[in-house]
Order: sequence, then C-alpha cells, then structure tokens
Amino acid sequence: MIITTQKPLDEILGLISPYKNVLIVGCDGCTQPPRGIREAETLSQLLELGSRQRNKQFAFKVNTLVKQCDSHLTAVALKDMIDGDLEAVLSLACGLGPQTIASLYPELPVFPAQNTVFMGSEEREAGTLEERCAACGDCVLGLTGGICPVSRCAKSLLNGPCGGSQNGKCEVDPNKDCAWALIIERLDKLGRLYVLEEIQPAKDHQAVARPGKITL
Amino acid sequence: MSEQITEEKVAVSLEEDTCSRCSICYSLCPFEAIKRDTETGKFLLEIEKCQVCGICASACPSKVIDIYYYDIASLVSYLERAKKKYASDTLLIMCKGSAPDINGIESLFGIKKFVPLSVPCVGRIPEEVFIRALLMGIRKIYVLACDEDFCRFERGSPLEGRRIAALNILLEQLGYGKEAITLKRKSLKVLLKEDRCIACGNCVYYCPWDAPKLVSPGNVKIDMDLCHGCGLCVSMCPAFALDLENWEKDRISLLISQLAAEMTPPRILVFCCQWAVFPALDDEPNKNTRFIYLPCAARVDIAHVVEAFHTGIDGVLVAACAEEDCKLEGAGGKIQRPLAALQKRLGEIGYGEQLHFCTVAPRYPEAFTRELAQFSEKIAGIQKGESA
Repeated sequence: MIITTQKPLDEILGLISPYKNVLIVGCDGCTQPPRGIREAETLSQLLELGSRQRNKQFAFKVNTLVKQCDSHLTAVALKDMIDGDLEAVLSLACGLGPQTIASLYPELPVFPAQNTVFMGSEEREAGTLEERCAACGDCVLGLTGGICPVSRCAKSLLNGPCGGSQNGKCEVDPNKDCAWALIIERLDKLGRLYVLEEIQPAKDHQAVARPGKITL
Repeated sequence: MSEQITEEKVAVSLEEDTCSRCSICYSLCPFEAIKRDTETGKFLLEIEKCQVCGICASACPSKVIDIYYYDIASLVSYLERAKKKYASDTLLIMCKGSAPDINGIESLFGIKKFVPLSVPCVGRIPEEVFIRALLMGIRKIYVLACDEDFCRFERGSPLEGRRIAALNILLEQLGYGKEAITLKRKSLKVLLKEDRCIACGNCVYYCPWDAPKLVSPGNVKIDMDLCHGCGLCVSMCPAFALDLENWEKDRISLLISQLAAEMTPPRILVFCCQWAVFPALDDEPNKNTRFIYLPCAARVDIAHVVEAFHTGIDGVLVAACAEEDCKLEGAGGKIQRPLAALQKRLGEIGYGEQLHFCTVAPRYPEAFTRELAQFSEKIAGIQKGESA
C-alpha cells in the first residue's frame, strides 16, 4: 500500500485559500492510513475550524472515490461530483490522485492534502507503517531471504551489513532495525547463508528508466 | 504520596466489624475484590480490584457494604421524584449498556409512558427497591438487562434474573398477578452497511472478539454472536460502513447539537465510558457541562470530537477506563491513538489544548470530578485569554 502523511492544515489552508467552492475527495484505494470518506469529512471540518480564525469561509463538498489512480473509474465517478460552481479539488489520495484529476479536468485547480512518503506495510501491533519496497525494478528479495535491503537499509547496500550495524540496529537511527542483520538472521534460519558468499554487483539504477511506462 | 492514596475517597466500603461473615459478597463478586482473612475470618474489600458493580451491596443481608452510587436510599428517593415527574405507574429499570431509545423500548415492551431508571448493570438493584416501588404505587415493573453472556459485570444480569424469578413467585402469592416484574434481555450489536464497506479490514483487526471476517473478494461478514457492541470497529471504519445500535453516528451528531444548544460558555462536552464515570440519577448538571455516556470509550469517534468543536463546544473531555479496568478486552484504550493524532492536528489550528483524554474509575468518585474541574478551569482560562 502507498503510505501518505497529512500535510499541515496551515499549508492546505494556504493552498485552497483563493477558492470558496472546493471538493474534498477521499480515496478508498490502497492509501494508508485510510483516506476514505471519514478522513475527508474530518478534514473538511478541521479546515472549516481553521478557516474561522482566518475570517475565511469555504463551501466544501465532501466525497470519496474507489481509487483515484484509475483514470477511467475516477472520470466516471467525478462527473457526478463536479459542477459549474466548483473552483478547486482537494485530493486525499497519494500523489497519483491529484494527477489523475488534473489530467481529467485541465481547467480545474487540484491540490494534494497528503505528502506521499513510501510504499510500505502496516505493523498493526506497533501502530507503524514501514517502508518495504523502493520500486527499484530489479528485485533482489530472492537473494536476501525476503527482506528488501534497497528500501530497508539506510544505504540501500546490496552487500551488507556495513560497520554501522549495532546490535541489530542501524547507526543512522537506532530505533530502526538493520536490514542486513535481519537478512543474515533469516538466511541462517533457512540454511541459505551461503547465498551471501557471492558478491552482488552495483545496482543498476536504470532498471526502470524514469518516467516508468509499461504498455499492456 | 501514600498518604494521598489512603485519603482518596472510595466508592465502596465494607464495615468489617458488623459483618456477619455470611460470605455472600465473597461468592458473588465477579472481580475477586472481596477476600477472606484466613486468620481472623473477616472479609475485606480490595478497592483496587473493585469495579463498583454494586452486586455485593445489593446482596448483603447485614447491609454492611456502603456504596457511593445508587444505594437503596438514593434509588428510592429518585423513584419518588421520578414517579411525579413522569406521571406514570409503570417502572422501567434498564442496564445503561443495553438500553435502547424510546422507540426501541416500545417495540420491546409495548410501553410508551414509564418511569425510567437507568443504571450501570441491573444486577445492583436489590429486592427492596422493587418492593418499595410497588409500595409507592408502581403497578408494573419492566426490567431490561443485557444478555447473560454479555454482562459487563459477568454476574449482574444472571443474578438479577434469579432475583426477579424469586420475587415474582412471592408477589404472585401476595396477589400481584403472575408476572409483576417482566424481564427482557438485549445486548448492543454493530450494524453493517454493506453498500458502504470498502473491505479494508480495519474492523477485522480491531475487533477484540474476532467477530468480523474479511472474505475475498472484498466482503465483510460479522458474527453477531461474537459481537460485544463495544463500537471500536465503528470508530475505526474509514468508510462509515459500520454503526452501533443506539449509538449511530447520526444519532450522536444530533445529540451533540442538542446539548451544545443547551449550554453556555465555556461549553464542555464530556464523552465518557459508562463504566468509567457513573452518571447521576437525575441531577441537573450545570449549564457549562454536558455528558455523552457511551457504551465504551471505543465508541468515541474522532469525527464526533471535531464535530463538537464545529458546533461551538469549547472543550472536549474524553474519560475512559484504564486498560486493566476495561470490561471489553481493552477496546476502550485503543481509541487513544486516533485521539492523539487528532490532538496534533487540532494543535495546528489552535485547538490542541481544548481536547483532553483521561482514564478514571468509579471506585474513586472524586477522580473524575477533579479531572473535569481542572479541564474546565483550563478552558475558561483559554476563553478569557481569547476575549482579552
């Protein structure tokens, strides 16, 4: 799932302040934490509260879309939400949502309510969302016991660990696990430590030529 | 420090010297808060374990257990006042946990006009209260208890069932008919609106009883026999696809706007767990404070907190049970994380200080009063600062 964090309310208020009629639209897709109708409604109320102090009045419409990254689904659903009075759209999706909407409605300003931070998974007990994939285009999980060093090692090392691995933690942030300590532990358990004897060549950073594009 | 603790007023106390040592309280207490001193034979109350269900006080033949909430005298005097106020000779005693609204009551019991008595667990109502009610001129008594397996105090609902069965036999002999007291049972359940569900699985994770199951492709099923009606899944659902019977989102919203309209500044709205703060029977609260007594702090919805500020409430206080006191597998405490996240965001627009979370227990009746007083003072201070 794609992990996002809320932009500071002040920043959002700044973005939408030139407009009055704004559609706040959530996304029911993979975004975590969930940014569906609950989040859209809560955000609209928080923005209204915040706007009172700025003597500003908005007229929000609040809705949600199944997945904003799907341009066809979004186009069909947005048709019923967008009318002549609407001046701007505030999207709660990851960075894909505002771009889909912008391409569908070239004349309509679209603003993000989120910062998109990484692809990750949810550790529910700890209450954390943790980065797990960097979309590098050349997956090494088969060699690393199913633990991604590209996204989980601060240096993205392919031949780790480095000297900064301290008791299983990373020197960059002692609250984070050293990915390579985890990889070694896991390969050891699997009886596959020998895999590491082969030195991996430098990463091919052109495995995905930006911007990535695949023809179906 | 220890001196302070011993001085804290407690809600239940056992007069050891006049106790007849019959051991009824000891055998009934669901929380093993009463223990027998093997050397002296005396029974002692361990207040830290006590959940103030009142079962011991209601069953003590020697009346040596003193209880701060809903003792016989205050129940009887409430009934006298309420009988006049509601001008009815029908009494309805309800467990707060399962009590439906007026329409629900009509469909359950077929009554529209009645004297309401709502308490946390009906297991605390002794025989004497029923008899005193009949003596007062009450002709028919209905009791609504939670289903036996869902009683927050484990033994309250089953105990009251036995009590009523025995009372009915006695009352029949006295000419009160076959069923002077009618008992019904009901427990709150979650409501699923399948058309709104986005199959995210939040409910599956948060439910302490594994009642919801997510089945592929994208479909949630809830086993209602497992649902305890805490409302945590409702508060965590990103799609508003779940609701809690009697505590639906729209109903709470309406309640917030009604309460806000009654209040004068500084307006303080308290969302509290019914089992953390016991409501007064009929006291008129002051004009600054109103309460929403939820079946568990788990049903404190951040959407409602924001809505409260939106409606003009100046301060929101959330009172939950401490984790060790939660009757619903710690569901209430799970709300702390979303509340903390909300508080941070409220801080960005200058409302951060106006939300406060606390854990309290009815065993220390003054603990909540203190929290409320401190918070009220803070909110009044913020208001003064703003107007200055």
